[in-house]
Amino acid sequence: MDFELDSDQRAWRDEVRAFLRENVTEELVRERAERGFEHPGGHLATFKKKVGEKGWWGLNWPTEYGGLGLGPVYQHILVNEFEYFGVPGPDLTVTSVAPMIMRYGTQRNKEEFLPQIARGELNVAVGYSEPNAGTDLASLKTRADLDGDEWVINGQKIWNSLAHMATHEWLCVRTDQEAPKHRGISVIMVPIDSPGIEVRPLITWDDFRTNETFFTDVRVPRTNLIGEVNRGWQYITGALDLERGALTNAGDLRRAVDEVIAAARVTLSDGSRPLDNPDVRRKIAQLDADVEVCVLMSLEAASLLESGQIPTSAVTEEKIISSELRQRIADVGTQMLGLQGLLARDSEYAVPGGGFEKLYRSAPLLRFGGGANEVLRDVIAQRGHGMPTYGRGR
Amino acid sequence: MKLVHTPEQRDFMAALRDLFADACPPSLVREIKTADSDGFPAQLWQGLAQMGAFGLAIDPELGGEGAGLYDLGLLFTEAGRVLCPTIVYSTLVFGVAAQRLADPDQAKRLLPALARGEVKASAALWNPADAGDTRPVFTAERAEGGWTLRGEQLFVPNAQLADVVLVTARASAFTEPRRVLAFFVRPGAPGWSAEPVRTMSGDKQARLVLDDYFAADTDTITGHGGAGISGSELTWIANAAVALQCMEMVGGATAVLERTVDYVKVREQFGRPIASFQAVQHHVANMRMAVDGARLTANQATWWLGTGQPATRAVAIAKMHASEAYKWATLTAHQLHGGMGYVRETDLHLWSERAKATEIQGGTADVAAGWLQRELGLAG
Repeated sequence: MDFELDSDQRAWRDEVRAFLRENVTEELVRERAERGFEHPGGHLATFKKKVGEKGWWGLNWPTEYGGLGLGPVYQHILVNEFEYFGVPGPDLTVTSVAPMIMRYGTQRNKEEFLPQIARGELNVAVGYSEPNAGTDLASLKTRADLDGDEWVINGQKIWNSLAHMATHEWLCVRTDQEAPKHRGISVIMVPIDSPGIEVRPLITWDDFRTNETFFTDVRVPRTNLIGEVNRGWQYITGALDLERGALTNAGDLRRAVDEVIAAARVTLSDGSRPLDNPDVRRKIAQLDADVEVCVLMSLEAASLLESGQIPTSAVTEEKIISSELRQRIADVGTQMLGLQGLLARDSEYAVPGGGFEKLYRSAPLLRFGGGANEVLRDVIAQRGHGMPTYGRGR
Repeated sequence: MKLVHTPEQRDFMAALRDLFADACPPSLVREIKTADSDGFPAQLWQGLAQMGAFGLAIDPELGGEGAGLYDLGLLFTEAGRVLCPTIVYSTLVFGVAAQRLADPDQAKRLLPALARGEVKASAALWNPADAGDTRPVFTAERAEGGWTLRGEQLFVPNAQLADVVLVTARASAFTEPRRVLAFFVRPGAPGWSAEPVRTMSGDKQARLVLDDYFAADTDTITGHGGAGISGSELTWIANAAVALQCMEMVGGATAVLERTVDYVKVREQFGRPIASFQAVQHHVANMRMAVDGARLTANQATWWLGTGQPATRAVAIAKMHASEAYKWATLTAHQLHGGMGYVRETDLHLWSERAKATEIQGGTADVAAGWLQRELGLAG
């Protein structure tokens, strides 16, 4: 047991921090504040390119695929710092899609897609959810039928974030209509500019652009199917724990609590300060104590991964706790500012650093998304404690 | 940074678990809590002494194992699982405090015997309801060849059973500045009284009264250069005691979680195990998350204290989590056991009582949140 970063790990953290201090510019922060305005060629895109030039997106990849091979703890440290600085860490393409291709892909998949991903030329929108397949993802209906050497795809995806910026769809489709629902699913890489794809924007409560995407007789080469046909469910669920483990992190929550603490010292329009109220102080102390649990759970997950174990429990618990904590941070942050907590960030009366209404609007997503917390509580009871399933098969 | 136990630590915990499972059954826990019991578990004590438990964190030159505070914390966790009688905890905490404070001669006289398990002990070095407060409640007045102690403290664990208790007192002596000194005080001497206090859990608390008690200079700790015991030393000790108690609480809460899961898997209603109901599974998941939060924060606090740091922020966070996690684990366990955890012939209430006692002792979550507010610079 060891809670202290060793000297190499500290040096790595300091290197990442120095890079972020230099490259997280005010313009980038402004663009991030309104996530809907991310666009190709924007400040975020420039920042990502710089990170790519350092090889950091593939820091956890094996060296044989062009990664740095640094391992889960180093990945944890990087993601933590990125989150604290409010910039996205390694995206799903490098953390989720690439490892699946490495582990399950055909030789042709690997040769065709991995070098492009490593160069930052291929980035995906993840096409999993459908209007009637959300928490129960395995009920998805979008289908792919083989016609000669091509898959023909028809259907609809939703919450298809990044589809308007990505080069490819990483698409979950049904390739066997007769098999039990978990056994007829495959994953196909679909170029986003294929004829028959239509992307329509959906704007969320927190001003984020996601999409619904329609597929009508979209044709892709047969070789774009990842690994073996009808094994897709196994691929996407098997990889999930590993990715979550490497990415589970509380850097953004640590930052949010620090911002609540800072805003608690501000003098409000009625002359009082939030921290003058003992109830507010007590609530903030609880936020600080709870964010510490998320930090430790993510450190534990990284440590377990580093020891070759799959940290299912640690990452599942961290997801539940952090997503519910995020809502409480936003709640306390808005509440303690009184009516000023209702002000938009750019209002002339807004409390500096007090834009918690935005967090309040964005917080619900991570509680229901990425595995609804109710389902994840079942996972803890069933996989962690051997309690019986009750029909929600995996 | 690696939050995983070493193979040695895992072996150590497994050995302790075996020992405690044999030597500390619920029947012993029930017997100890009765008013008739003196609170001393002779057979368990012997087993712990044989495996070197009392010398675990004592320096090798004083006859101990020289393991750190963290490994001692693992012992507290295993002890907490089985509701180990509290004389074991108070003796081990005394050892940690005495080793930190005693001068070399005192250490040589006392600690080798303690390490062999020949001494039962306790300490009264902080406010039992708020370990962040280390102001002495006793006073010491200079006397010929020693000091005269006066004062009283309610909730000194096992003072009625201990061979020695370590206390602090505010000392005043003509022409000398006021300072805090520590004293080894013992039963049997004039002016000593340790009267048992009846508590909810029968956990052998006492009201310790010192009334013109004479402590010789050889039993007096005057601190570095005689300047008295520094506040930072006392804070480290109080923090270590709280962190170790949190480790104990984690063990207790884990045991409650495990027995509850075992029960709901076999209890059938509506033709199936109640473990198959989602509402029951969510109670279990919530217990598990709270227990893991308590475990990680207690481990962190104990580990950092073991490096010599005061770790007050980590200790505050650990106590906030442990206090609520243990208590709610037992209360949720009562809900899931129904009547089968409510009648006295079942054992669940033994944990529930310990959870309530440890929730409040040292400081509730609200009290610990006050420590954290000071650390965060929020205190009004």
